[in-house]
Amino acid sequence: MDVSRPLYWNIGDIGMVNYIMAFAAILILVYAFYDRIRLWRHGKPANRSGNVGKRVAGIVQYVLGHWRVLKEAYPGAMHFLIFWGFALLFIGTVLEAFDHYSGLHFLTGTSYIIFSFVLDCAGLAVLIGIIMAAWRRYVIKPPRLDNKPDDFWVLLLLFVVVASGFLVEGVRIASLNAPADAPWERWSFVGWICSTFFLGLTQQAAFVSHKIVWWFHVVVSYIFIVSIVYTRLLHVFTTFISTYTRNLEPAAVKPIENMEEAETFGANRLEEFSWVDLMQLDACTRCGRCQDNCPAYLTDKPLSPKQVIQDLKAQLDAMAPVWAQKKTGSAEEPAPPVEEKAISADVIADDVSWSCTTCGACTEHCPVFIEPWSKLIELRRYMALMESRFPPEVQVAFRNMENNSNPWGIGSSTRGDWAADLGVKALAEDPDCEYLLYVGCSGSFDDLNKRVSTAVTKILQEAGISFRILGIEEGCCGDSARRLGNEYLFQIMAQQNIEVMKGYNVKKIITLCPHGYNTLKNEYPQFGGKFEVYHYTEILAQLVSQRRLTFSKKLNLKVAYHDSCYLGRHNGIYDPPRQILRALPGVKVVEMKRSRDRGFCCGAGGGRMWMEEHLGTRINHARLEDVVACNPQLVGTACPFCYTMLVDGIKEKDLEKKYQATDIAELVLKAMGKQAG
Amino acid sequence: MEIICCLKQVPDTEAEIRPAAGNGEINYEGVKFVVNVYDEYAVEEALKIKEKLGAGTVTIVTLGPERAAESIRTGLAMGADKAVHLDDPAFLGGDSYVTAKALAKAIEGMNYELIFCGMRAIDDDSMQVGHILAEFLGLPSVMGIVKFELSDDKKKATVHRQVEGGTEVLEVPLPAVLGATKGLNEPRYPSLPGIMKAKKKELKPLKLADVGLSEGEVGKQGAMTKVTAFSLPPLRQAGKIVEGDTPEAKAAAVAKLLREEAKVI
Repeated sequence: MDVSRPLYWNIGDIGMVNYIMAFAAILILVYAFYDRIRLWRHGKPANRSGNVGKRVAGIVQYVLGHWRVLKEAYPGAMHFLIFWGFALLFIGTVLEAFDHYSGLHFLTGTSYIIFSFVLDCAGLAVLIGIIMAAWRRYVIKPPRLDNKPDDFWVLLLLFVVVASGFLVEGVRIASLNAPADAPWERWSFVGWICSTFFLGLTQQAAFVSHKIVWWFHVVVSYIFIVSIVYTRLLHVFTTFISTYTRNLEPAAVKPIENMEEAETFGANRLEEFSWVDLMQLDACTRCGRCQDNCPAYLTDKPLSPKQVIQDLKAQLDAMAPVWAQKKTGSAEEPAPPVEEKAISADVIADDVSWSCTTCGACTEHCPVFIEPWSKLIELRRYMALMESRFPPEVQVAFRNMENNSNPWGIGSSTRGDWAADLGVKALAEDPDCEYLLYVGCSGSFDDLNKRVSTAVTKILQEAGISFRILGIEEGCCGDSARRLGNEYLFQIMAQQNIEVMKGYNVKKIITLCPHGYNTLKNEYPQFGGKFEVYHYTEILAQLVSQRRLTFSKKLNLKVAYHDSCYLGRHNGIYDPPRQILRALPGVKVVEMKRSRDRGFCCGAGGGRMWMEEHLGTRINHARLEDVVACNPQLVGTACPFCYTMLVDGIKEKDLEKKYQATDIAELVLKAMGKQAG
Repeated sequence: MEIICCLKQVPDTEAEIRPAAGNGEINYEGVKFVVNVYDEYAVEEALKIKEKLGAGTVTIVTLGPERAAESIRTGLAMGADKAVHLDDPAFLGGDSYVTAKALAKAIEGMNYELIFCGMRAIDDDSMQVGHILAEFLGLPSVMGIVKFELSDDKKKATVHRQVEGGTEVLEVPLPAVLGATKGLNEPRYPSLPGIMKAKKKELKPLKLADVGLSEGEVGKQGAMTKVTAFSLPPLRQAGKIVEGDTPEAKAAAVAKLLREEAKVI
């Protein structure tokens, strides 16, 4: 007997019905998927096709390599087994068909044994993965999973597809009198074990059983194929699309083009989102990683990024028949009017949209790069620009930025006062310098953060860096305005700053605030402001590594570094602040449970700095729990908002005796044996 | 309902105010100008009435230099329908009396059933224009209203104003000049479509001749009062911390200072 597996063994010519079913199943699959694509196309255009190399590399790294999925061991391993198990089974099936129809028949002898062994391993991997998934979903029940019937049926379907495949193999082996006639089938080890279920059967009964199980397996497999688009299995396809079209510049909010001529701003209808936004709704599997990392959700605010995506998806499904009707409705028979829900308020409550700190944790941890926070910014834009609908504090912040170019509303004529006695020149006095130090609003107006701008100034002076400030000519970067939805105000402020900076032919900029850093670096280029932008920690880390700073004082401190979202997650600056801290004599750097890409927001991003926190518990208090657990003497940060939130939290929690917060620039200055004020 | 709102452009409260050389005027260089916040209450109330009635026109009337047009646009962006700008150098440099006179002349020829203004402007704080305007137009006036209710026949209004220790409720026949103050409403933030639309709304400039007044009757020349000088308040001196070994010694030192230096006891 040949060491191989004859195709359609024991099935005969009727097996050809299989092809009819295959054709039908694939046709349904393709059409159903095309239907989804048509839904996405109701969205606005978005260009996500540039940089093909990076995008393809992303498919390899994130889809095939499960880079993000594996960041969590259990669900990661579980999904890896199912994904690769199924992928191998699929490749195996294709290979077998090729082997048969090409007439090459290379799957014989040892190659067949290896082939069958690998596929049995793959099938086993799927089964283990499914059992792990079921165990997790129905026994461990992590709170982030909401169980729907869909989840159950999909797991069951996957299990039955693979298990019935093994039964087919088992009953085939049993009917071959394998131990004597085909001992090589031992290598199909799972099938071999399954064959023991059928050993007692007569040959005829075994042949009949084989036929039954074979047809069952085939039918179930096609049910599986057809259900892909109609169930959560849709992500099998959309994962590739959403990973390929992922935002390669996620830190920059996308601009509203042509504000003077546009008629609507932001999104209040699904059609006002981009097609990528709509496609992402179909890529979500409700895994809940976003929710598990969302500072708003974790402090009992009404926002769950997962729910936002799911609510929008429900609306997409609801609109599907409406759009279809609109298209087919002719002049004589117009589509019946359908009451369309407004997205803001009706689908996503205002409190949900305003709870977001734009920390980016949702997108960072989404295995398929869905961007809930940028969708919320679209909603905020609609509310802010179209309806002036926002909490009263936001209006105050907008007014203040309009009138005095800072959210506090302190007289703009005093913007440069912090530097009065420091011997820093403004560009207006002497434009000859290497860097512009863009101070930002906090460093200019907030007493706590004036200490930081002073410290950075003194350090730079000590290191002999040539720099100037803009002083009274500096304006608010606009980060908060933009993230609160007021794109109009943002663009006005951005353009003013760019004009001033260009006027002085500024090339390199050092910023104090990560928000200003992100805005100047990633967003000003949208308006023609292309500068070389550094955060002060990058410059200081460089000075430290070049040994251009001399530390004369031993600090003897255990310091935990709190990652600012706009420095860390949004811009990947995790190491420079830590390098600086490690270079300080007597400083021991410790890490909090949530740090680096898992860093927990202070609560002030996304314009939340200027808003009351009425709902749930306070985000900065939640962050302090991490501090207490890690028990440093000092929490270091490099962001004025984080600094303020940490100092406030420590005060409110009455922890002043145990912990202190500081900006690391102040520590550096201290180690240099100097004082900020 | 035809409603007129008087609106003034004023320096932002945070702006650094300095006397100009010679001290006779304010140096407005680098100063950010905004809509007088009390006038925002006036515009907001007018818009609310119009929205409630579902019909009518809200017209802004402003006296001020060219730059005041920016503030008029803010009012239009909030939702006012059109505006009149008394934009002639001759109008400038006057006092409340001539300002009200010019405004009255401009308003006389217009259609109106109600006039709102802010009860005061935050720059000179003279709190007189509303009253004088009403006198010129021969209308009743109530300044400092915190609540406005229109009668069903739109012939009169019930207005509330805060008085020492209570609320005064007045009934006033319309048309009247009503001065808005904090508490009347929360002025809206102009929407972006509102801002865009405002750019296309009618803003009619009025010159001296258009209101039928002569140069001697308005501005600096016609003013009843004259500013002799502006000066900055003296800078606050640093506080003194009284040292002493015992509370008694400190108290004695404080008493001595109060008697000899502050001369208050």
